[in-house]
Amino acid sequence: MDDDLDDELRRLFSDDRLDVHATPDATDAVLRGADRRRRRRSAVSTAFAVVTLVGAGVGLTQLRSSGDHTADELLPTSVASTSSTPPSTSTVYSTSVVTVPAPPSNPSSGNPGTGNPNPGTSTKPRTTTPLPPPPPSEQPSKVDGLALGMTEADALKTGSLVEPGSAADPQGKCTAYATKSVPDPNAAIISPARGIVWLTLPSYAKTSKGVTVGTSVADVKAAYPTATQSGSGLRVEMAATPKWSYIFETDGAAVTAVRMRLNSSDCPGY
Amino acid sequence: MTAVLQLELAAERGGGRAEAVGDFAEFVRMSMPGLLRYGHALTGNPHDAADLVQSVLEKVGSRWVAVQRKGDDPLAYVRRAMANTHISIWRRRRRENLVADLPDSGVVAPELSRLENEPLWQALRELPPRQRAVIVLRYYENLSEAEIANALGISCGTVKSQSSKAMASLRTRLGRD
Repeated sequence: MDDDLDDELRRLFSDDRLDVHATPDATDAVLRGADRRRRRRSAVSTAFAVVTLVGAGVGLTQLRSSGDHTADELLPTSVASTSSTPPSTSTVYSTSVVTVPAPPSNPSSGNPGTGNPNPGTSTKPRTTTPLPPPPPSEQPSKVDGLALGMTEADALKTGSLVEPGSAADPQGKCTAYATKSVPDPNAAIISPARGIVWLTLPSYAKTSKGVTVGTSVADVKAAYPTATQSGSGLRVEMAATPKWSYIFETDGAAVTAVRMRLNSSDCPGY
Repeated sequence: MTAVLQLELAAERGGGRAEAVGDFAEFVRMSMPGLLRYGHALTGNPHDAADLVQSVLEKVGSRWVAVQRKGDDPLAYVRRAMANTHISIWRRRRRENLVADLPDSGVVAPELSRLENEPLWQALRELPPRQRAVIVLRYYENLSEAEIANALGISCGTVKSQSSKAMASLRTRLGRD
């Protein structure tokens, strides 16, 4: 009897039906993810050092001048305009929650965190930050003045792209840039025909439903019941013209990056 | 999990990055079909298989230079990491009570429905992930008990007991006890 089961298991495991076809861009997705993890790890190390400094009671002013890059450099200008004072610890990925509404162009959202008067509150633990109640914004937000669909020339004029860009695909069709607030070299992907087709939110920015880096997968699904699985992440289609989607990349448990993607993207792999 | 932790804790070096990236890309291209298949055997469905392969390869890729320096066969290393990651993901999911089986993850398994109707496949699905991993490593990977123990970071005695429990449940579910 045992032998029968042994044989059956071997036969089942050698069955062709176990084959899973990979999508053509599966390799590229892995390479992008590996690169993202490597960069996040170094960013988290930096953040850890910053948290240690805060713990030791070093003032925010000193903190700002002691970092490798200042908060001002990292802050997206359009997002900062909704805060009366720029938060200074935007590099703290793990603990910093700055309640900056993702769509800063939408003042009617009534987000209670919009007028954040005290930079000190930006170091509050994530758990104490209330989820903003307003309905989902269906218009894509701007990041550093960058928006989906913006042409490469216009995007470069904002000064928010880190030059030089690099080829986003093997054919060199689209161009990838890091942005001032997101060091990932593929933070923004620009198509010659459609403009910006892929844009990454800074780690401290939130979507209008309060989703940000660190939000659990369960909470994303609660906030966006229409979310569908897409590779290792979640995709939420927004009802706007032109059509676009949030892509929440996750590690299986929590969000690791928030991207906005033009549905009509013609950049391979994005 | 041990393997993954070691991976996370390994020191990072900056040298030869471009070369390492090209080398890793080739490794991914070559190993992807086999890993997806192995992931399917481990997780029981193609969507979880794709997620598992993607997440483990991302971790390995972000440490590729360190992984290669360890001198192990990278493919064996990835397979061990997948088994351990799958076990830990399952634990976490059980706590979060996540909704499973989401559509549209970009992978398609041919003739999946026929496989789904296999009593043995269904019975495997009911096994706890560590028991299932032991079975997959034994009958898919053809590893010895000592090799399974080493891969999962458990004792040979635990491998034996998990294996016999798994076989007993499979026989029960197939109505053969």
